Amino acid sequence: MRMMNSEIRRIQGLEKAELYHAAKELQAPLHLVQYVHEHGKLPVVNFAAGGVATPADAAMMMQLGCDGVFVGSGIFKSGDPRKRAAAIVKAVTHYNDPKILAEVSEDLGEPMVGINVYSVKEEDKMADRGY
Amino acid sequence: MIIGVLAIQGAFREHMDVLYRLHVQGRLIKKVSDLEGIDGIILPGGESTAMAKQMKENGLFEALQSKINQECPVMGTCAGLILLSKEITNQPVSTLGVMDIRVKRNAYGRQLDSFATIAPIKYISEQPLELVFIRAPYIEEVGKGVEVLCEVDGHIVVALQNNMLALAFHPELTGIDAVHAYFIEHMIKKERIDHGSISHP
Repeated sequence: MRMMNSEIRRIQGLEKAELYHAAKELQAPLHLVQYVHEHGKLPVVNFAAGGVATPADAAMMMQLGCDGVFVGSGIFKSGDPRKRAAAIVKAVTHYNDPKILAEVSEDLGEPMVGINVYSVKEEDKMADRGY
Repeated sequence: MIIGVLAIQGAFREHMDVLYRLHVQGRLIKKVSDLEGIDGIILPGGESTAMAKQMKENGLFEALQSKINQECPVMGTCAGLILLSKEITNQPVSTLGVMDIRVKRNAYGRQLDSFATIAPIKYISEQPLELVFIRAPYIEEVGKGVEVLCEVDGHIVVALQNNMLALAFHPELTGIDAVHAYFIEHMIKKERIDHGSISHP
């Protein structure tokens, strides 16, 4: 998201005449590049997904400018999915209110734990499986 | 003048953009204290169940009800219309229950059945306006004291009752701000001059 914001700001800072070259570089349609230049955002909504496990994660994605947050395993692989889901919903609505964020983050039980790449068994790795 | 836009979920940013274009100060409403000092409220489109659930948890539900009952001008679009209504026929949804309308939720069907059309709206525009219906509800029946301002294919899509304006479509998405302009000019400014009940032209 930070990368996207930075790239959007780069496009915004270009001269109008430079947009043609930027579009060519990005291999993107010119009218889309012009839209981003003018509005400072993409013409579609942008949802954050993947790796969100805490209300703080969700709030941070909103602060960075996402339009919404999708959470799957972050909720279902946690200790108390119902409570965590409710907390993340509130965190998205009140993403700029530290007091509410702190409140909803309390006592949520075990969070989802990521799997370290080195502990994945050889036969489970997609990289060797091919397609 | 400050207009509050309910910002639990849904199309609140688009409504804020319209207010900005009309040079009116908007304020996002997320909790009870945000209601203080506002002159009008917009209930945006979105998902009415999600909004009602969160509002009930933090007390905004009752606070909004009493604010609207005290004649604060309110405009509800799509899910906002559902929130205003006294009765929903086809699904159990908790609503603010302040406006005498009976509403059918998701009345036109699923997302694929969303559509745009044009129609004039009484008081607001004699010229046909573009109306965008997204999984929209419509009003099946209105009670006494509710005026119907627009119908599409025989279904009521705009209704007015004293300080409440309900629209089944999304006026914030077309870039034509006639509906918001009417709300501000005739429902909020008028209220402030009269200090009494709102009389429509």
